[in-house]
Amino acid sequence: MEQGKTLGIYVHIPFCRSKCEYCDFYSIGGSRDRDLMDRYVQALVTHIRETARGAGDYLVDTVYFGGGTPSFFGADGLKRILGELYKRFDIAPDAEITMEANPDSVSLRELRALRRAGFNRISLGVQNDADEMLKALGRPHTYGQAVSAVRVAREAGFDNLSLDLMYGLPNQTRAQWMNTLRHVVELKPEHLSCYGLKVEPGTPLAGYEDCANLPDDDAQADMYLYAVSALESYGYNQYEISNFARTGFESLHNLRYWLGGEYLGFGPAAASNFAGKRFTCAPDLPGYIDGIAHGGAILSECVQIPMRERAGEYLMLRLRTAAGIEEEEYVKTFLMAFRPLERELKQYAEQGFAEYQRGRWRLTPKGFLVSNQIIGKLLDTQHASSTLSKK
Amino acid sequence: MTDLGKLRNFSIIAHIDHGKSTLSDRLIELCHGVEQREMENQLLDNMDLERERGITIKARAIRLVYTAQNGEDYVLNLIDTPGHVDFNYEVSRSLAACEGAVLVVDAAQGIEAQTLANAYLAVDANLEVLPVVNKIDLPAARPEEVKHEIEDVIGLPAMDAPEISAKNGINISAVLEDIVAHVPAPTGDRSAPMRALIFDSQYDAYRGVIVYLRVMDGVIRTGDEVRMMASGARYRVLEVGYLHPIGMTPTDALGAGEVGYFTASIKDVADTKVGDTVTSVQNPAASPLPGYHEAQPMVYCGIYPADGARYADLKDALEKLKLNDASLSYEPETSTALGFGFRCGFLGLLHMEIIEERLEREFNLDLITTAPNVVYRITKTDHTVLLVDNPADFPPTVEIEQGEEPFVKASIIAPPEYVGSIMDMCQNRRGEYQDMTYLDKTRVEIHYIMPLNEIIYDFFDALKSKTRGYASLDYTLVGYRPSKLVKLDILLNGDVIDALSFIVFEERAYQRARKIVEKLKDNIPRQMFEIPVQAAIGGKVIARETIKALRKDVLAKCYGGDITRKKKLLEKQKEGKKKMRQFGTVSVPGEAFMAVLKLDSED
Repeated sequence: MEQGKTLGIYVHIPFCRSKCEYCDFYSIGGSRDRDLMDRYVQALVTHIRETARGAGDYLVDTVYFGGGTPSFFGADGLKRILGELYKRFDIAPDAEITMEANPDSVSLRELRALRRAGFNRISLGVQNDADEMLKALGRPHTYGQAVSAVRVAREAGFDNLSLDLMYGLPNQTRAQWMNTLRHVVELKPEHLSCYGLKVEPGTPLAGYEDCANLPDDDAQADMYLYAVSALESYGYNQYEISNFARTGFESLHNLRYWLGGEYLGFGPAAASNFAGKRFTCAPDLPGYIDGIAHGGAILSECVQIPMRERAGEYLMLRLRTAAGIEEEEYVKTFLMAFRPLERELKQYAEQGFAEYQRGRWRLTPKGFLVSNQIIGKLLDTQHASSTLSKK
Repeated sequence: MTDLGKLRNFSIIAHIDHGKSTLSDRLIELCHGVEQREMENQLLDNMDLERERGITIKARAIRLVYTAQNGEDYVLNLIDTPGHVDFNYEVSRSLAACEGAVLVVDAAQGIEAQTLANAYLAVDANLEVLPVVNKIDLPAARPEEVKHEIEDVIGLPAMDAPEISAKNGINISAVLEDIVAHVPAPTGDRSAPMRALIFDSQYDAYRGVIVYLRVMDGVIRTGDEVRMMASGARYRVLEVGYLHPIGMTPTDALGAGEVGYFTASIKDVADTKVGDTVTSVQNPAASPLPGYHEAQPMVYCGIYPADGARYADLKDALEKLKLNDASLSYEPETSTALGFGFRCGFLGLLHMEIIEERLEREFNLDLITTAPNVVYRITKTDHTVLLVDNPADFPPTVEIEQGEEPFVKASIIAPPEYVGSIMDMCQNRRGEYQDMTYLDKTRVEIHYIMPLNEIIYDFFDALKSKTRGYASLDYTLVGYRPSKLVKLDILLNGDVIDALSFIVFEERAYQRARKIVEKLKDNIPRQMFEIPVQAAIGGKVIARETIKALRKDVLAKCYGGDITRKKKLLEKQKEGKKKMRQFGTVSVPGEAFMAVLKLDSED
């Protein structure tokens, strides 16, 4: 076996109790359709078995079940899928194995079973501490349920808990957000994700965006900067635009996305970065089940990523992280000049958008807030500059 | 050659939309000038744009043969005229080629501003004017009243005017009989030295310029060597002939009184300008026909390709348009803000709009145009006189002894209930009230002397909207008057944006400046740093706004490692950026320029 080749695995569970007002991820909201869920497990099992043959020399060190709402899907199905992964892949004994959960669909019995099956990290969708806010977002739970879900998860033996929060919500004030952060920190999670609400086209929220009383960009920016500094003072380090963790509890699986690592995705809408290609399964559950069963096409997209584009991805993804980018790493990997990027980064540093620390360039929280602009400009610069090898 | 006695040369004149083109179609049909199946509606307007806007841009002429009720065949030359105020000179030259004019008046709307303007032009040209009341099929038609109006307001006998519906083909032959009976046959000595009036020309890729002319004296023949008396250009005639609704028929000669064309491998329409006199080189006329003058551009603006890489395409397009339009002028111009483009001169605002629209439509160009500018006359302290059609050439205030700007006499006709708001509008635009006449109970004609500068932005649009479309406008230049003028500069992030500078009446400067900086603030997206937007006169800032720094543009989540969304977002951002103009460090969308130009429509 080749040394050191590691892999992440993502499993998409496209089932939810109900669709939230703002959500545009691929999932089916509504009552549990046992038959459909069973057929989906069967399709995943087949897909995993067939795919694993091409990944024999990889060590899997992160597994992530996202959704949708994996906890809503039920422990039995999740266990079967994870069992298949264990059977077909070489999964490291200390692998990080995460599942997403919603507060309304966790029970001590199920979480215990899942913990025994190998899951060791839970990412819980809490979002806010006020029930009227949760209701307005279409979340199917209360804050009280979130608090008890945390307790249950601890009791079931999960010592790596992440809580998801959102800011920039309809009618939300900065004070309301400060309260949410304060309350949530009291639950002592190891990890926190804070996402700014973005109105996605096609969602119910997009239909009434204009009268939703959303905080404006300035207010959202203030909420974000407050979160960064408050969480810092509570002992959570910002390691990515929207992610904060106690030392040693960064999400290894998510870091893999930003560091350009390889991963395989299973299920409709799941994305992969593997063997030089990026490919995505079509967001179509029946099509996926049918395609797996009868050997049809399940990918909506599959492209070989050339080195030049990888260089772009490097900027685009790494600059999301607190670790940022580094000259030697960049030059050696892509054989491109770093100087033009550095010139620009120095300007950003003067304006407080970037900083140079311990040999690496990173964006500041203020820079993260306008990272689309900065990354866009750096990509232009990269595009304009010639490769070293051509000289 | 046709006998002088059997010739009738006439134009049809009308206010816009009163049915001139439709009547032309009917006349052609009745004279069997075209087979029915070949007949497109409104044959004379053969540019798409003309058809769409319902206006005629370039004059055309056609020869019809009509068998009158007296059994005799007559040759009728119908000379079409452009229907807009910007083309008054072309109209006057077309009329000079005729002996009569059919004045079409809408039976419902009655006399409008251009009805009057055109009727006066025809009377001034000593034409026999034959009123015709059109659209009698409309429920609101009031032909009797309209006839009285024509008599009272224009002073033409109108009681016997044919009542027709060009659209429904009602009573068209009455118009033709009127023409035969009342339009005088042309006079002219076919043995005299040849003189012919150029009233239009058209560029043909194979034959060069096709010159439309009316022979006044003598005869023009194939093979003649001719000279344009104003431009001095000399050519040997390759072909002469008659013009038909579709196509042309060559003939050997055109005699005095006749209307037709000649070709001579002419490459440049500027050699054969409208109004010039053609004469023979061998046996030249002693003097040219009266009335020629160069059509002077009245309005200038900068035209730039939105995508700088398409400069060559724009140049090519302007060259092609110029082939057919001697009144369009352009020269290369460079703007630090907009790059390479052209300073273009137009006869008026409509002419400018038409050219812009043709550039965009026929040549598929995205344009950025700068504020329209009239020609200012600046006397400097050293007594030199400058004609300034470009803000870039405006001298520093201290060097100006006196500024002058062109004024027009505007005639506005509208229902009385709008008089108040029209007068407000004119007053606000520095109009000087002249007089007001009731044409009848329902319409008032108001005269104002106004700076042309105040009209060229969008006075007409504003007038239309204030009067719910009922008002009509006509104007004629009355000359220059002293005016306190200043150049207003716009600064973005401290740098002057040359393309946004303009010349303005001093007392209006502050008001305009405020509006422009507000407009720019609203139309320039927030960027990563704060951007001051300032308006200044000679370095003194008189208005300021600030575009706050952009604080949030981030994709919070890259879900499940699906980074294609982020890539697409960045691509979209890049596309958007291409449409932006870079001013130092500030990106400005093309729309921001447009927004600034549309300022006046809101007051």
